[in-house]
Amino acid sequence: MTTCRGVWVFAEQRDRKLMSVSVEMLGCGRKIADKLNTDLTAVLLGHNVKDLADELVAYGANKVYLADSELLTFYHSEAYATIIGELAKKHRPKIFLLGSTSTGRDLAPRVAAKLCTGLTADCVSLDVDEKGQLLQVVPAFGGNVMATVICPEHRPQMATVRPGVMRTPTIVEGRHGEVVKIPVDLKREDLNIKILDVITEAPRVAPIETADVVIAGGWGVGSIDNWRLIEELARSMGAAVGATRPPVDEKWASEDQLIGQSGKTVRPRLYIGIAISGAMQHLVGVQDSKVLVAINRDPNAPIFKTADFGIVADFREFVPTLVEQITKLRSTKDTS
Amino acid sequence: MPPVNSIVCVKPVPDPRYWSELALDPATKTLRREGIPVVLNPLDRHALEEALRIKETFGGTVTAISMAPLTATDSLREAIAIGADDAVLLSDKSFAGADTLATAYVLAAAIKKLGRFDLILCGNQSLDGGTGQVGPEIAEFLGVPHVAYVRKIDLPEQGIARVERGLEYGYMVVEARMPLVLSVVKEINVPRHVSLMRISEAMQAEVRVWASRDLDVDSSRIGLSGSPTQVADLFIPETKRRGEMMRGAPDVVSKLLIERLRELGVL
Amino acid sequence: MDFAPTPEQEILRKSVREFAEAEIRPKVQQMDETDKVPMDVLEKMAKLGFIGVMVPREYGGLGMGHIARTIVLEEVGRVSAAMANTLQITHLGISPIASDGTEDQKKKWLPVLARGEKLSTFAVTEPTGGSDVLGIQTTAKLEGDEYVINGRKCFISNSHIAGVLGILAKTGEGTKGLTVFVVQSDFPGFRPGREENKFGLRGCNTGELVFENCRVPKENVIGKEGDGLRIALSAISNVGRPGITCAALGIIRSCLEEAVRYSKQRVLYGKPISELQAVQWNLTDIYMDYEASRLLTYYSAWLRDKGERCDAENAIAKFSACEAAVRCAKKTIDIFGAYGCMRELAPQRLLRDAELLISGAGTSDIMRLVMARKALTLA
Repeated sequence: MTTCRGVWVFAEQRDRKLMSVSVEMLGCGRKIADKLNTDLTAVLLGHNVKDLADELVAYGANKVYLADSELLTFYHSEAYATIIGELAKKHRPKIFLLGSTSTGRDLAPRVAAKLCTGLTADCVSLDVDEKGQLLQVVPAFGGNVMATVICPEHRPQMATVRPGVMRTPTIVEGRHGEVVKIPVDLKREDLNIKILDVITEAPRVAPIETADVVIAGGWGVGSIDNWRLIEELARSMGAAVGATRPPVDEKWASEDQLIGQSGKTVRPRLYIGIAISGAMQHLVGVQDSKVLVAINRDPNAPIFKTADFGIVADFREFVPTLVEQITKLRSTKDTS
Repeated sequence: MPPVNSIVCVKPVPDPRYWSELALDPATKTLRREGIPVVLNPLDRHALEEALRIKETFGGTVTAISMAPLTATDSLREAIAIGADDAVLLSDKSFAGADTLATAYVLAAAIKKLGRFDLILCGNQSLDGGTGQVGPEIAEFLGVPHVAYVRKIDLPEQGIARVERGLEYGYMVVEARMPLVLSVVKEINVPRHVSLMRISEAMQAEVRVWASRDLDVDSSRIGLSGSPTQVADLFIPETKRRGEMMRGAPDVVSKLLIERLRELGVL
Repeated sequence: MDFAPTPEQEILRKSVREFAEAEIRPKVQQMDETDKVPMDVLEKMAKLGFIGVMVPREYGGLGMGHIARTIVLEEVGRVSAAMANTLQITHLGISPIASDGTEDQKKKWLPVLARGEKLSTFAVTEPTGGSDVLGIQTTAKLEGDEYVINGRKCFISNSHIAGVLGILAKTGEGTKGLTVFVVQSDFPGFRPGREENKFGLRGCNTGELVFENCRVPKENVIGKEGDGLRIALSAISNVGRPGITCAALGIIRSCLEEAVRYSKQRVLYGKPISELQAVQWNLTDIYMDYEASRLLTYYSAWLRDKGERCDAENAIAKFSACEAAVRCAKKTIDIFGAYGCMRELAPQRLLRDAELLISGAGTSDIMRLVMARKALTLA
């Protein structure tokens, strides 16, 4: 264990762009590396991605291991895990962080099993204690229970973190780092898995009962024209649209979008209630949402008492700005 | 095409309708799960359904397997009532306290003992732990490929699986030689209901129970002692709403809101 | 005395509940509004074995007993009493064939009915007699190899959707003057008549049957000519009455869950109304009714599974559960306040459904007559 050194971060790229979560991991990794007085190393796999290595250094990596090959253009579980596993066995990092994306959640356990080490998923916070142990706080039971997990003896201590949980670090000009090219000896014939095609799709909006994000509008929306703003916000977030009784009666929304006592119960990660006063008949349908946001012109609206975040504003001014920000966020971040 | 034999890994999890009754033991820092009804992990139902559809098309067997306390025989009987041909329960005091690595190690050992298999199907993640780690780790211990986020499975020719692997904004079409591990998502199918016709059969079926001595395992790699990760602390977070009011110009507030939501992992 | 359910019974309950929540729950409001039977749900239930619960295995059924049937009907009834009634009437139509049919008759009809390929019902009631069974006037006259049936039956559930119907008709006078016939819906001279517009159990089809020189082969007599009263009363006592009882039990369970859930959510005077004693007293009344009805229902099922004659116990369970269902539904409406009167919410439907159950398979007054026969022997 004393021969272990370094904090590693898996630098995920898609279409030759760094995933935002990998950059966030670098910020987090840098802080941890500084506390442990050790180096921060990024592990980058892809094809024709050398330029990204410089970006990784600018974000704080002391070293970048770069494996560049056509076989690595897209995430390939066999190829990626083999290369990274060998690299980690050879260089023995103390800590290895990955973003909790569809790639990270697939790659990390494969590597962890190769290295016979511990892995914690979807950490909401990471820190190191005086002993250099990584303290990993994770949700269980859908977030109803939180656990602090440690990996006392096995190395590297591996963890995945969801996008947006850690802050994006600032670029520091003039940082220097070493880029080490890793030879890729794998041949296509050696690989069992073949990627036949990669297809981009607009994300399917889940039905309201199972959607991760629900935007609901109430009587205060005022008109079917204004209702378009609700739908636009939902589109920008890939969210499902819900409603209280009055919008359904007015036919701005359909009966199957009704949320509440005589409608549906939803349990999304995020619920945003717009121009909804917060009567009990509706709130019973959303009270199990993980995070509840309310936007209402009336500062005394009862919904604010049960909200995590309350915004006193006219939705006609606020929502377009929110849509703009979210659209900007989506386009600059990871669209692949 | 010859028959395809599948193994489906299933996990009984506390019924989400009763999660509010989970009590934390402050002394041992563990969750008291006694008395809470269990259900088969929902995504495992999808995995079982897919295995049954494959069997209905190609023939072969479907075996359900679980590492769980002895009470899980009921859950495995449920799997048989849904359509599995047989079931194996891996249960032993020494398996307790296992993290995902130790769990995958034991499941892999049992699968090796079961012998022939073409496909190993799992739900992409469990409702309680939600890590999604056991499937890929089993594959690593068995030395076979794995594909996660599987939303469609085709078997175009003998020994080959062609699957759609979901991405955040689309999917990949991936082909691999069997045997392999596939972790499925809910979009793959609509699971069938338990048929009352099979309940009597299921109650009379023999659920094989294997303990650690029945498996070729290294005792230092199972259960709590075989778990690299340990829970140092367990707590139930405050369920009170934050009640944070945000004031200011729309663009300032919207930026702040987005930031707070991303921090919480909901955006 | 072991009151614990077996693991098999637990899986049975869990499975039926899961089905009911996934497949029946979404249809409940629509059933109440349109009064249409969701045939697709019936088909699914048939495929999973809900109809053939008590049909012997060799004829394609589950070969389970009364307790198993009670579990299935209670769980269906908890979501929809109308659906439970449709299902239990189907069981009732099957039962004379299973209990008194010849081997040929069983082979001919039981597999088809167990698989749900055809639905079933049992028709006794007429404008001139329901409670007064001997008052029925539908006649069946033997002409060569056929009986010719003339008459009308009313308030028959599954009237318009049943394909194989058990009919009680007069072949003579007095208690030996009744015979059970199996009539298929495609027989000449048979047709369903008017459809009733009930205020409860909507989504369960109830209507008239019309027999105008309906020709029925004599092979379709169940038992012998003159056995009809015995067969009919036994079927009604052991299958029909308990079927209604289970639907009522499901309603009471639903009342309990709705009332508790609502009172924990509804905040008045700064706290949930579940903390008010007056509300708690109502809740405990419902709870007591549930536990009592449950015990009576399962006890009588246990007696029937043992093969014991238990008309009185069947009657006690039916009377108690149905009257309790009406009581509990009213209390649930009271707890909901004005919301309890709104068509979108459950309580008013539970009351309307419960009231209909009282007149099914023997009114509460008839139940007392049945009980009296036993009560008078107790000292």
